[in-house]
Amino acid sequence: MDPADLELLNERLESESQLREKIKEQVLELDKKSRVMLGHLNKVHSIPSSEVPNLLASVRPVLESTHSIHQTVSQLVPAHQFWRWKDMWTNGLRSFVFVAAFVQFLTDGTLLSLADTTAQLGIKDEWKDRFALPVEDYLHGLITLVNELSRLAVNSVTLGNFEEPLKISAFVKDIFSGFTMLNLKNDLLRRRFDSLKYDVKKIEEIVYDVSLRKLAPKKAVSVNTSL
Amino acid sequence: MLSTASIFDAFRAEIDDHNDRRERLIKASRDITNISKKTIFLLHRIALSPPRDGDAESPEVSASKKGRANLVQVRDMYAKLKDDIAGDRFWRYEGQVSPGLQEYIEALSFAHFLEHGTLITSEDVQRTLLGDDGQPASRLIFPLTVSDYLLGISDLTGELMRYAISSLSQRGGRTKAMSTLAFVRMCKGDFDGFTPQIRNLSKKQSVTTQSMKKIEDAVYAIVVRTSEYDLPPDLLDDLVAQITSGNSDRKRRRDVSDDGDRENEMNVD
Repeated sequence: MDPADLELLNERLESESQLREKIKEQVLELDKKSRVMLGHLNKVHSIPSSEVPNLLASVRPVLESTHSIHQTVSQLVPAHQFWRWKDMWTNGLRSFVFVAAFVQFLTDGTLLSLADTTAQLGIKDEWKDRFALPVEDYLHGLITLVNELSRLAVNSVTLGNFEEPLKISAFVKDIFSGFTMLNLKNDLLRRRFDSLKYDVKKIEEIVYDVSLRKLAPKKAVSVNTSL
Repeated sequence: MLSTASIFDAFRAEIDDHNDRRERLIKASRDITNISKKTIFLLHRIALSPPRDGDAESPEVSASKKGRANLVQVRDMYAKLKDDIAGDRFWRYEGQVSPGLQEYIEALSFAHFLEHGTLITSEDVQRTLLGDDGQPASRLIFPLTVSDYLLGISDLTGELMRYAISSLSQRGGRTKAMSTLAFVRMCKGDFDGFTPQIRNLSKKQSVTTQSMKKIEDAVYAIVVRTSEYDLPPDLLDDLVAQITSGNSDRKRRRDVSDDGDRENEMNVD
């Protein structure tokens, strides 16, 4: 092999592995944040709804603190190489999508759009060839949200909140019908989507239990069935 | 606020677009693999044809020229796919582009070897991947990665083994086999240093080692026979032809893996 070429290739590999180390440092920070937030949000299953706003207030600053790390990563990644490195932080990013969407749902019961999620994570459009939130990862986050909501539906009934499952049911059905509009190929997203129907079914059963026993307020039931 | 339906509608368009592009690149990669494999056969065929009187250039050089002309098709295909693989898309679809690209590099490096007897540099490979539109800076269709380059050229040794052994029965084939062997050894030595950093390279290195041993066995047979008989080159050529065919027969009987080897190689390719 040409000695000059050998040296060139070695240099390139060396700088790539240094870059990997640097990104890894940031990713570890992101993972810490995601664990903190997931830990906080887990409490939602055991507290009365009056305490939820306080809980969300403790999560929001942590979510905001990811902005600066995302910025650092976006500066580390060379131009056009987003897809090369993204696997390193994909898991963290998906969990942030889930956190942001869950917080939004608990705040006003609406679905956080992709654009709003991107904004809440402090991801800027001008980084798009270095750091972005792809549709796929956003959708993964939403599936995690549905998984979590089926659990919340159960636990809110246990806590005596009979209205919550109805709200969740309408919300989840909406997301589910959105997913059915997509042509997914046989990948992880597709498999996770296939599992969504069990969550939907579980939530429906809870709604059934609650309305059968006339535990839910009349008005909410009629709103739900009209959907 | 947008309805969920309209949000997901936009996602569908984007996901479809991505899947279509992916399919397109997989097909193109298969076509490029095909052209490259055919080119490799062409290179073997012409390089091993006996030189004719009056030809200005050796069979190797004319093989190399024809092979390279053939490979321009590949560059044209990449140039046509530019929109699908330029910019940040290259890394998104790297997995779909790589197999064809590595096959192309193998063919290109074989053509280069036949003409120059050296290993093509990564820069030379990159130079063949320039589109011919616009300014020099934008002419690059996509950046060649260290991994694709190394994995591509590490397939070259298998072809060189075939080339060295088939040329043994020809006039001058023995010197050719010796120099090819030296080259393959150098490749093995140089590439070994990269195995920790490049995924899948170690698998290819074991194929390289097998190829190297096969040439070594063939060269060994020649040296032993040449020392025993002091024959004129013509007769020696006949003798060597017998030895090499006998050698491969014996080998097949000794370990069943000979065919297995070839299959392995196909898989690695």
